[in-house]
Amino acid sequence: MDTLNILLIGFISIVIVKNLVLTKFLGICPYLGVSGRIDMAFGMGMAVTFVVTLSGTLTWMIDHWVLMKFGLGVTRYVCFILVIAGAVQLVEMYVRKFFPFLYKSFGIFLPLITTNCAILGLCLFINLWGIDNLLEAVVLSFGAGIGFTMAICIMAGIRENLNLADVPECLKGAPITLITAGLLTLAFMGFAGMIR
Amino acid sequence: MSPVSKIKHFIQQSWLLIISSFCFGLLIAIANAAWSPRIEQNRIYKLNRLMGELLPAAKSFELTVEMKVELAKGKRVKSNIYKALSDEGGCVGWAFNCEGPGFQDKIELVVGVDKDLEKVAGFNVLASNETPGFGDQIKLGYYRSQFVGVPAEKLELVKTGDDERIDSEIVAISGATVSSEAVVKIINLSLPQIKEQMKEKGLIGNAR
Amino acid sequence: MPGEKQATTELYKRTLVAGLWNENPVFRLLLGMCPTLAVTAAVKPAFTMGLSVIFVLVCSNIVVSFMRNLLKPHLRILMFTLTIATFVTIADLFLRAFQPRMSEVLGPYVPLIIVNCIIICRAETCASKNNLIVSIIDALGMGVGFTLTLCVLAGVREILSTGAIWEIPILPAGFVPWAAMRMPVGAFITLGLLLALVNAVSKRKY
Repeated sequence: MDTLNILLIGFISIVIVKNLVLTKFLGICPYLGVSGRIDMAFGMGMAVTFVVTLSGTLTWMIDHWVLMKFGLGVTRYVCFILVIAGAVQLVEMYVRKFFPFLYKSFGIFLPLITTNCAILGLCLFINLWGIDNLLEAVVLSFGAGIGFTMAICIMAGIRENLNLADVPECLKGAPITLITAGLLTLAFMGFAGMIR
Repeated sequence: MSPVSKIKHFIQQSWLLIISSFCFGLLIAIANAAWSPRIEQNRIYKLNRLMGELLPAAKSFELTVEMKVELAKGKRVKSNIYKALSDEGGCVGWAFNCEGPGFQDKIELVVGVDKDLEKVAGFNVLASNETPGFGDQIKLGYYRSQFVGVPAEKLELVKTGDDERIDSEIVAISGATVSSEAVVKIINLSLPQIKEQMKEKGLIGNAR
Repeated sequence: MPGEKQATTELYKRTLVAGLWNENPVFRLLLGMCPTLAVTAAVKPAFTMGLSVIFVLVCSNIVVSFMRNLLKPHLRILMFTLTIATFVTIADLFLRAFQPRMSEVLGPYVPLIIVNCIIICRAETCASKNNLIVSIIDALGMGVGFTLTLCVLAGVREILSTGAIWEIPILPAGFVPWAAMRMPVGAFITLGLLLALVNAVSKRKY
């Protein structure tokens, strides 16, 4: 029961309170680039969730069962990024071959995701927070993906409406998106302190 | 393709990768070997500096024991207990690190206590991510000075009161109730458990 | 040959200036946003991050430029990533050894330089196609442009949130600090407004 409690609280905290995009500044590039339309945003979010869950788990396993056991902590960054890049390649090949319908909906985003800071960032944060059991790592990675999807869909919804508004010329595009993101962050700050 | 030519083809394609991986690995190993003693030294120095502020009579700190402290909801965290030694080698107090959830993220504290674990000598913040200007004030002298000399029993957070009086009532920082309460809660949860575990190991009352 | 030499110096000058304004990585190419927002709460961490990025950029551009004729096309990105990851590890170890306080403030954003789009983009578009000197100059230009941008953003945020720059108090004591500038809100809004300013200045549009 206690474990379930911890997992549930961890999940909610990473989706809302410690949202990767809005509080930790991870994944901003795709956030600004792909949040133009809701369907694209959702596709990107799903792709990120898929990859981040897989990467988070894999990197945690490699970190705990290989790197720390043999004292190779200093090669952590190199190993993580290679694992992430490799996992993304494998996932793309696999999805393209066996699940073509899935590939159509989010496959094109997969190569972009390797340089998404959110993936590497999450793996490093899991390491930083000292998560020491596999199930918690899996739940947190999944929660991070869901948080990213939620943030990017909210932004896409707002931007679709912004297109119809009278935005000054110099603010069009990235500036107004950033200011909107700032206001979203302010709104999400209200959730801080929710998890004690 | 026969196996040999397959291997040959593989090496032809990736010899650069293999050689450069080797070189990079070597570079990282050299940098690590050269700098990791210094990194460790930095960590120890920082901890000693923070503990030294709490127990000024101490000349050195010795890691005595590592124990597990149970926070709320079954989460267990590691806590290191350091013995504060004077120049003659006598015990002048103890210091331990503890942590718990704060407003934004977790707060890590290092708490100093006297040698019989009867009075708290104060705390220092090791790491925290509280709201700047509000929860951040737990690092300031105003809040921290209220903990100097309080009895090592259950502390209570109050909103208004006399902050000059040294007793087990701590006045919260205005506008930062959650952060103030987090600090009190961390000390309330960790101190009794550490006291009990140290009594079991026979370390208190054994001031040599 | 004097004409050739002149053309080469022109190329060097153009490459250097490009990184500073025309192709400024943050304001024009919109790359490397993550560290820009995360470390610019104060000028000192921003400057440290900028220097680290310059170091990694120059080293990785040098290595990639050396290897540019030997790279197999399908292993390219892997080689770039490996190179960048190595130099970031070295930079991180250096920071933890010699600047522990900055290393703590920057925290997990130093290893995130690996996935900083600027570095891999420059390796891909410039270093793998040009000789050593042009690559180095390009790296320096981009790196310095990035550092300046970070420092400008950090300067605005620090002066409004604490009244000081590089921890030296500048504004009078009566100034009420805008705590919001130190939080994510301040980061997003300041960057958005600065971008709008750059757009307005460069395109003369209001």
